[in-house]
Formats: sequence, structure tokens, C-alpha cells
Amino acid sequence: MQVAFYIAALVAVISTIMVITRFNIIHALLYLVVSFMAMAVVFFILGAPFAAALEVIVYAGAIVVLIIFVIMMLNQKEEAVTQEKKWLTPMVYVGPAILSALMMGELVYIIYVGESHAVGQHVVDVKELGKTLYGPYILAVELGGMLLMAGIVGAYHLGRQKKKVIHRFLKEKED
Amino acid sequence: MEFSNINIIDVLPGLFLVVASVLAMISIAIKRNHIFIFVVTSTSLMGVFLFLILYASNHEFNVEPLFVIDGFGTFVTGLIVMSALAVSLLSYAYFEQREERKEEYYILLLLATLGSDILVISKHFVSLFLGLEILSISLYAMVAYLRKRNKSDEAGLKYLILAAFSSAFLLFGMALVYSASGSMDFTGIAKYVSANPTLPLPMFAGMCLMVVGIGFKLGVVPFHMWAPDVYEGAPAPVAAFIASISKGGMVVLLVRFFDTINGFQYPVLVLAFACIAVASMIAGNVLAIQQTNVKRILAYSSIAHMGYILVAFLAGGELGEEAVSFYLVAYFLTNIGAFGVVAILSDQDRDAERLEDYQGLFWRHPKIAAVFTAMLLSLAGIPLTAGFLGKFYLITSGVHAQLWWLVIVLVASSVIGLYYYIRIIAMMFEKAEGSDELALHPRLYLINLITLLVLCALIIYYGIYPQGLIEQIHNFLQ
Repeated sequence: MQVAFYIAALVAVISTIMVITRFNIIHALLYLVVSFMAMAVVFFILGAPFAAALEVIVYAGAIVVLIIFVIMMLNQKEEAVTQEKKWLTPMVYVGPAILSALMMGELVYIIYVGESHAVGQHVVDVKELGKTLYGPYILAVELGGMLLMAGIVGAYHLGRQKKKVIHRFLKEKED
Repeated sequence: MEFSNINIIDVLPGLFLVVASVLAMISIAIKRNHIFIFVVTSTSLMGVFLFLILYASNHEFNVEPLFVIDGFGTFVTGLIVMSALAVSLLSYAYFEQREERKEEYYILLLLATLGSDILVISKHFVSLFLGLEILSISLYAMVAYLRKRNKSDEAGLKYLILAAFSSAFLLFGMALVYSASGSMDFTGIAKYVSANPTLPLPMFAGMCLMVVGIGFKLGVVPFHMWAPDVYEGAPAPVAAFIASISKGGMVVLLVRFFDTINGFQYPVLVLAFACIAVASMIAGNVLAIQQTNVKRILAYSSIAHMGYILVAFLAGGELGEEAVSFYLVAYFLTNIGAFGVVAILSDQDRDAERLEDYQGLFWRHPKIAAVFTAMLLSLAGIPLTAGFLGKFYLITSGVHAQLWWLVIVLVASSVIGLYYYIRIIAMMFEKAEGSDELALHPRLYLINLITLLVLCALIIYYGIYPQGLIEQIHNFLQ
């Protein structure tokens, strides 16, 4: 298990370095997904299977999809498509593919070994986590709710269209 | 199951704010009404304050594992709540004049106050970070609240990116401290620190990263770059909020954290904070001299003031805590008053931020000019104002702890600071020549004037007769 931990940690470090050094956002995104998966494996080996599952579902799943939505909304023209074709050479996806293959190998290994004995750590299961969150840390959970409320109210206000734009259209109609 | 060992009364101040913000949100969903939401906000803030006076004073207990409710925390919570009330009183007239949707502002204001309140009473990294994030996230939206102004977008974006970045620093620092000490609780860290007379490397790295995060929130040199731009772009009441409440919460947290873990036993950290204090005092005052924008001048002056307050923080001990408490009161009153004057003079198009807007103010609006003069003199630390006594307190605590260099820099830089405060005052007494096209046409609201006059009266009252306030602080800190 210890070897698996170091491999996963190495993959996480390499892929994160690749994320911040890419110039194209999609290429960075490929590495970002790999980085999240490697982090999930690290969490799993350290005895936090629930955190590992959340890492995959929330980060590698939802957040990455959100980023793709944002890129879609940037409204790229046709030139962007041809450029994308030019960029999407094997050079680009071979790196993430190798790293992902490594993670895949680890996954198979972990399943093969079976029992998830973490490296010298006590395994925290979901029940224990829930008891902690809704026991001593209940106030922290509720504050988390307030945090989300601040975020949503703020985003709702800022996300509205600027009135400035409407004024300009009105002026054009008058002409 | 140990579901709830929390006594509901202990956390009632926070609960008040939470309930008020939810109520405000529901009232928006039903019908938008500026006055109603304003009344809800003010009443809840008043309610918290009354509760603190009637019940919570002289109580000391822990709400395990996140909060500690002691005299210091209670005192500053009361101060924060009253300052938030002053800000909301000033905001009402300010936002009433603008066509934007005004109601969401009050939800954010309440939540930001809640965040600051949590910072003040937290004794655990989890509550520290949650409080900080509630405060920051509310402030992102508040800074960029006026969507029609280009500058507010810029300010909001700058604040968002830099604050998120500094939060990452803080989080990484906390992770390193946790990995070294095995505890996120301040008392747990204190145990580890007392067992390690020399600073271990992971702890050192973690502390440094935490200083970056905290320094950003305080806006001290060299983490101050955001301050002038954000103050300039933010609506005037929000700038008042950032200058006072958001920084005050962080100051108290810093004092509590270092007091609990006894961080001053490490000379490296003391040296780091001393350098930050000196740099802030000098840079803040020197850079303010060249500015012609009143909001930017106030921003640089608040950088310098945070440097002053760090002197009392470094002095530590009971006197240091007392000095910090007194200075926070004076600083909150003065800054909210100063930004309140900017807010009251602003009209629909822009805020009253150019120095020329104040030319001849004494002849146009003598009352406002008198209030602004009092605020600026208090910021400069002229006798008979609360600012003077606050600074006097800081110097006393610095001398007591024999921080000679810091005290000398404090006095010298205050003298530099006098120049730009007096320049604004001189501008107000100058006769305006001719009519300016860009002149502002503010609508004056009685509520604003009354708030400003009360703030001004308090500053002068505490400047002449501080015994009452000092006794209160003594009572709370015991």
C-alpha cells in the first residue's frame, strides 16, 4: 500500500504542475481531472474513503463539468474549432493518458488486494464522519450553510444583466 | 448520542444574525421593500447589542470545540454589531438614491457581520476559516454591488482574486500547523508550542503562510496592494465596513491566537510582525501624501492605522489587549464617520471622492464639514478626540513593553500623516471659485446627518472623558 501511496502522490504533483503550466485551458483541464483522481486515491489510502468518493464526484465530476460549461459560454468561433483540431494531437492527450493509466493500475491493485488497510491510519467511515459533523461540529455545518447563502445571494445579485446595456438598446430604438 | 451539548443562549448573538438574514431573504421573495428590510436589519443588530449588554457581559465559557465567549470577545462583538448598525444607517440613504436593487445588500451586510463576529469568538481553525470565508464572500458581492459603475466591477474582481488567493495561503498554513502540532484547537497548538522552545520547520512554514493570509485581511504592507483600489471602487458604506469591521475582526483573532499559543516566545515571528508594523506605518503615511482621491487617502491611512495597532499587539499582555480594545473603538467610530461623510456627499453619478468635491464645503454644509474635520483630526490623533487617546494608549503599551523603535516610528509617521489630513481640512475651508460642472448634488437625508452627528459626538466625548469607556473595557477584560 505504501508504494501505491507514493505513486498516487507523485501523479498528483506531476499533473498539478502540468495544470498550471499549460497555456490552453482544455489541456489544463485534462490534467486537472487526473490530479483530482490522484488526490482521491491518496485520500483512500490514508483511510478516508468517503473523502475520496467526494473528491471524484464533486471535483472530478461536477466542478470540471462547470468549467466546461463556462468555456462553452465563452462562445468560441469556428476558427477556434479548426485551431482546436490542430492542437489536439497525440502529444496533448498522451500525458494525461499515461498518468490515468497509472491510476487505473492502482485501482485494479487496490481492488485485487481487497481489504482497504490504510497505511498505519485509522479508517474513518461515513458513520463516524456524520457523527462528528452533526455532533461537536454542528455549528460549523450550520455556518457552512450561511457561507453558501452569502455566495448564492451575492452571485444572484452580480449575475443579473447590467442595466447599462438595456439603456443603450433603448437609445438605438429611438433613432 | 452526544448530539447537542450546546446551550442555545451561548450562541444567541450569532443566531440572531442568522435568523435576521433568513428573514430578510424571505421578505425579498414575498415583496421587495427597502424600508422593511432596513428595519429588520437594524432591529436585529440592536437586539444583539441589547442581549450582549443584558446577559452576556461578564460571562466566560467555551462552546466546545469551536468558540470561546469571553469578555474581550463579547466587548468586540458589541462594537462590531454597533458599527454594523451605523453602517446600515448610512447605507439606507446611500442606496435609496440609486436605482439598483437594494435589498440584497442588507442580507450580505448581516452575513458579513456574522462572519466578523465568528472570527472574534473563534478558538479553532474550522471556525476561523468559516468566519473568514463568510465575511469575504459577502464582501465580494458588496464591493461590486453597484453594477452600473465600471470601477466597482474592477474592485470586486480584484478583491475576489486576491482574497481567494490569500485564503489559500491561510489554509495551507493551517494545514502545516496542524500537521506539525496535530491539533486545530488553539489550546492544543499552545500545548505543542510550549513543548517546543525552538520553532520546528513545518510549524515555522505554516506560521509564515498564516501571516500572509492574516496580513492580507488586515491590509498591512506588503499585502496592502488591494486596499486603495478596492476602497475607491466600493460604495462608500461598504468601504467603511471593510475599513472597520472586517479588519477589526481579524485583529481580535490575531490577538487571541497569539495570546493563546504564546507565539511571542519565538523571536522570528516577533521580528516579522515588527517589520510589517514599521513598513505599514511608514508606507501607509508616505503613500497617502501623493493621493488626490479622498477614498484612496483613507485607504492608505487605514493601512497606517493597522500598523499602529500592531504595536499594541506586539506589546501584548493585559495593557496591550486594553490598548487594542480602546483603539478599535476609536478607529471604528472615526473610520465609519469619515466614510459616512463621503457617503452623504455622494450623488447618483459618483461618490464624493475627488479632493475638489470638498472645496468650500464649510460654506455649503457647515455641519458636515465640522463632522468631517472632527473625524480627520481624530484620525490624525489630535488631542480632545478619541483618536488621540487611542494613540496615547498604543504608545503607553509600546513603552511599557520597551518597543522603542516601534514607538519612535509610530510617532514619526503620525507626524507625516498630519500633512494629508490637514490638507483635506484646509481644502474644506477654501472658498470655491466659480461653479464646477462636475459638482455633486447630493440629497441629504436626516438619518445620515443624525448618525454622523452621533458618531462625532462620541468621538469628542471619548476624547474628553474616556474614563467611562476605559472602565467598561476593564470590566470586560477581567
